[in-house]
Amino acid sequence: MTYVLMKVLESAPSRYDKGIRLLTRGGVDAAYDWLCGHVQPGQRALDIGCGTGALALRAARLGADVVGIDVNPQMLALARAQAERQGLAEKVTWQEKGVAELGEEADAAFDVIMSGLCFSELTPDERHYTLEQARRLLRSGGLLLLADETRPRDVGRRVLHVLIRLPLVLLTYFLTQTTTHALPDAPAMLREAGFEIDEVRFNRLHDFVAIVARNP
Amino acid sequence: MDTLRFYVATVAETLLRMLPFPTRTGLYAIGRPGPDSPVLLTCNFHLTVERVKRALRGVDCWLLVANSRGINVWCAATGGLLTNHDVISVLKTSGIEERVHHREVILPQLAATGVEAKLIRQKTHWKVLWGPVEAKDIPGYLAAGKQKTAAMRRVEFPWLRRLEMAVAWGFPISAVTALVAWFVWRAALVPLVALVWLVALLVFLAFPLYERFLSTEGVHKGFIVFDFGQSGVQVFLWVLVMAASLLIGQMTGGLTWGYALRWGLASLLVVVMVSIDLMGSTPIYKSGLHEDRLLSVRLDRDLCKGAGFCEDVCPRDCFEVDREARKATRPRADACVQCGACIVQCPFDALSFATPSGEIIPPADIRTYKLNLMGRRIKAAG
Repeated sequence: MTYVLMKVLESAPSRYDKGIRLLTRGGVDAAYDWLCGHVQPGQRALDIGCGTGALALRAARLGADVVGIDVNPQMLALARAQAERQGLAEKVTWQEKGVAELGEEADAAFDVIMSGLCFSELTPDERHYTLEQARRLLRSGGLLLLADETRPRDVGRRVLHVLIRLPLVLLTYFLTQTTTHALPDAPAMLREAGFEIDEVRFNRLHDFVAIVARNP
Repeated sequence: MDTLRFYVATVAETLLRMLPFPTRTGLYAIGRPGPDSPVLLTCNFHLTVERVKRALRGVDCWLLVANSRGINVWCAATGGLLTNHDVISVLKTSGIEERVHHREVILPQLAATGVEAKLIRQKTHWKVLWGPVEAKDIPGYLAAGKQKTAAMRRVEFPWLRRLEMAVAWGFPISAVTALVAWFVWRAALVPLVALVWLVALLVFLAFPLYERFLSTEGVHKGFIVFDFGQSGVQVFLWVLVMAASLLIGQMTGGLTWGYALRWGLASLLVVVMVSIDLMGSTPIYKSGLHEDRLLSVRLDRDLCKGAGFCEDVCPRDCFEVDREARKATRPRADACVQCGACIVQCPFDALSFATPSGEIIPPADIRTYKLNLMGRRIKAAG
């Protein structure tokens, strides 16, 4: 059913940010702020699935030079407009590109790779490929900053998650036509791809995860 | 076992046809394919994948299943859910490039509304061929050296398809009806459910009888009854039916609030079903909700070089290419369903949409901004 909602979501990109905030009960902003605390001025950063630019613009504000890629031209148009309003147009390059086109970028081209609420939208093959490319694109010691929705592992939280989420999904859909999906075990996925996990933060309900991982 | 699974999927997913059924994306080996075997691509609507696999029995080939979010090829491509990126993605991340020597992929023709052959080639070096509309024609297409007949290019709406759509409507509506009736009018539950099925079957099976009244040309926004939300005819109709049933209630002396409520709901059900406008469930008539059915395709003869992509992708066989003059013509333009495939594929941008007021929608807009559920292309970020 969420797939039906997604279809409408893509047609209402201007409401996307509000919807995500509602769905994650504000968790998305806290997680993005914390993740971007790891970005240094002057670093080269890549935002995979940048959407309306939530992560990319934060990194740019901190002085990083950012490339934001996304498959949705409407989202990118919003991101571009926001960058201009905030005087960050020089710091971010927006490209309409999917993860499958990451093969074109040069080895070790980035100090930081960020991705918020994107991996949960990818197919398993795409995830695998993206992490492989991320390892190649990051310099040694470079950081992968990941934030996504996840499913709580213990039963109690899972029940609570469903109870809270169901009305929120409906409400969010009616108000903003936005929804999200959950990513299976993200830390394990990164470890399997060869990343070292520096820090993992869950929200209280364990349904939103933020990870700082390192390319060895 | 495969046959059983196929029929179970067909029944279950036809009953719930309005919902997406995503299945595994990526590479599937059909038969015993080798490095020179053909590569085909389809969407990840489960029923489609099952049907394609069944149609390909006895053929050795590779099947790529792209992420269309569990939605069928035509809807997903036209609605921006089966895009260039999804095709590039499955070509690059599924491992197919290590399995075959060639770089030629056969896409379903109906994906041409959303996937640009030219761009796929630029970005991946894969050549896109537009295969037949129906999976069942694939073996014949391959055997004929990847040549399509005109029939393979055309979308039809035969009785079996109409039955399928009637079921797809009848099941969810009757389920909701049964639920409501259980609480408000239990005695009429069975007749009401039967009524829903009857109306659904009538609307779809009788389609050829009234199809010619569903004009999509000019100011006529369609046959008035099938004009959901546009002219309020259904409200008028409902008031009429209600007045009649209240009158009967009055005359038989059975008029109560409960009576009015029950007959009100029952008549509303029928009126809504009849006026719901087939809601885009036919391949040859667009929902009244979709503004783009008022658009017409414009052909710029100066830009046209007769490449013939339009003829290759048109599901209504509107085009004919004059090979001598190297120009396309549209002898059957009135059959157009405004899918936009020809505009998306034309390498010379010779085709575009024109609104009834004469405004031109350029090919770049049609390639970039896809239709949402309401049949609109949201261009501005607003």
